[in-house]
Amino acid sequence: MAQPAGLLYSKDHEWVKIEGDVATVGITDYAQASLGDIVYVELPRIGATLAQFGNIGVVESVKAVSDLFNPIGGEVVEINSELEADPALLNRDPFEAGWLYKVKLTDTGEQANLLSPDKYEALIAEA
Amino acid sequence: MIDSDETIRRTALWEAHRALGARMVPFGGFEMPVQYGDGILKEHDAVRHAAGLFDLSHMAQFELRGPGVGAWADTLTVNNVATIKPGVARYNIFCNEAGGAHDDVIFYRLDDDRWLLVVNAANAAKMWAHLQAHPGTGVTLTNRHGERALIAIQGPKSAAILGGFVDADIAAMKYYTCLETSVRGRPAIVARTGYTGEDGFEVFLDSEDATDLWDALLALAQPPLPCGLGARDVLRLEAGMPLYGHEMTEAIGPIQAQLHWAVKFTKPAFIGKDALAAQVAAGDFSRIVGLVLDGKVPARAGYPVLVDGQNVGEVRSGSLAPSLGKNIATALVPAAAASAGTRIGVEIRGTVHPATVVALPFYKRST
Repeated sequence: MAQPAGLLYSKDHEWVKIEGDVATVGITDYAQASLGDIVYVELPRIGATLAQFGNIGVVESVKAVSDLFNPIGGEVVEINSELEADPALLNRDPFEAGWLYKVKLTDTGEQANLLSPDKYEALIAEA
Repeated sequence: MIDSDETIRRTALWEAHRALGARMVPFGGFEMPVQYGDGILKEHDAVRHAAGLFDLSHMAQFELRGPGVGAWADTLTVNNVATIKPGVARYNIFCNEAGGAHDDVIFYRLDDDRWLLVVNAANAAKMWAHLQAHPGTGVTLTNRHGERALIAIQGPKSAAILGGFVDADIAAMKYYTCLETSVRGRPAIVARTGYTGEDGFEVFLDSEDATDLWDALLALAQPPLPCGLGARDVLRLEAGMPLYGHEMTEAIGPIQAQLHWAVKFTKPAFIGKDALAAQVAAGDFSRIVGLVLDGKVPARAGYPVLVDGQNVGEVRSGSLAPSLGKNIATALVPAAAASAGTRIGVEIRGTVHPATVVALPFYKRST
């Protein structure tokens, strides 16, 4: 299955949508399917400064805790507060309603460290 | 993901699991389904409200034979064995001399001289060695681990779903009974036992017959939903049933695991009796309790448990409990912190989350 165009991807199965100097971050459909039923999401705080590829929270399924890695560095400017009441949004709509948080980019050059949709598709095809 | 170790084994239903889109994980030396495509929550719901289908062929089946089995097993286990009537199953625990647990098991007495002993997959080699090290007079043991299959149907619709395939009136069977019969024309043992907190059956059969029964069940107009080990663990935790390696270990025995009911101190002698009796007499042993967390962050095995800021114990199992809509856990805590209603903290990634000690089980079926 093709990955949504217009997004960049990390090897840790996060996606990034860049609009100006703000990036929206989420986990991919592949990630949510691998995790199974998601019951809790621990997000970074607004105002926190996150390094690219840093460990910044967890996603928990019924049975397992998985680390969440930040795919692109910046300051957190918004979090998806709906996930607190409805973490299963991540399962139902990972690329849209299930977005995690938005960061104001530190260095737009970090995009070069992310994968195109085709390259991410190739990555998960090998998994 | 999958262990590349060549010694990992497959059950007779491995192909069926793959065809159903199961995610497979190594467990107890076998590659087993942890969940299927619908996910753990739907699998859990099927067992609580309809029926779920499990491949438990990784569990070890030991055949015991001879007039001495009951008396021999009574010296090795905490519960009564010789008094089990033919056609009846009974939960039991093999202890070490210190009162810790080698394994928790079920004895199925098929007739006067023939028994089936089912032990946990992860303990199969240890238990087989333990039995070999304690030979009994008039006892013959056969290890059928990996040669025999076990298919469980669990949930309120289990009797209706399985009944049509069995040459016996399984709806009339009482809980914790077993019978030798035929299932789809093949010899099998059917028992009304399980590990989910629901009504249900376990079918012990030759591996070569497993696929036929599995496929026939899934071909029904209202089939059971295949369920993996993930759902099974959530179901058993809600039902307050111990999982070896978590609520019981070589260091945590049946008294600490709150299974006093299964320990028969009236038996003349059995391995671990003195240590267990001393625990009961002293009374101040740490023990397994249930916890319900106030908040939405799940507790997991190994997390510290605190009372008044002091680390007093640890979580042994933890999960969201779909039946309660809350996060639940078991924890090993000192006697002073074990009373129902005690407020307790669970440290999760550096933050203490409040919880309340509750009586087990968390979930009890209504019928």
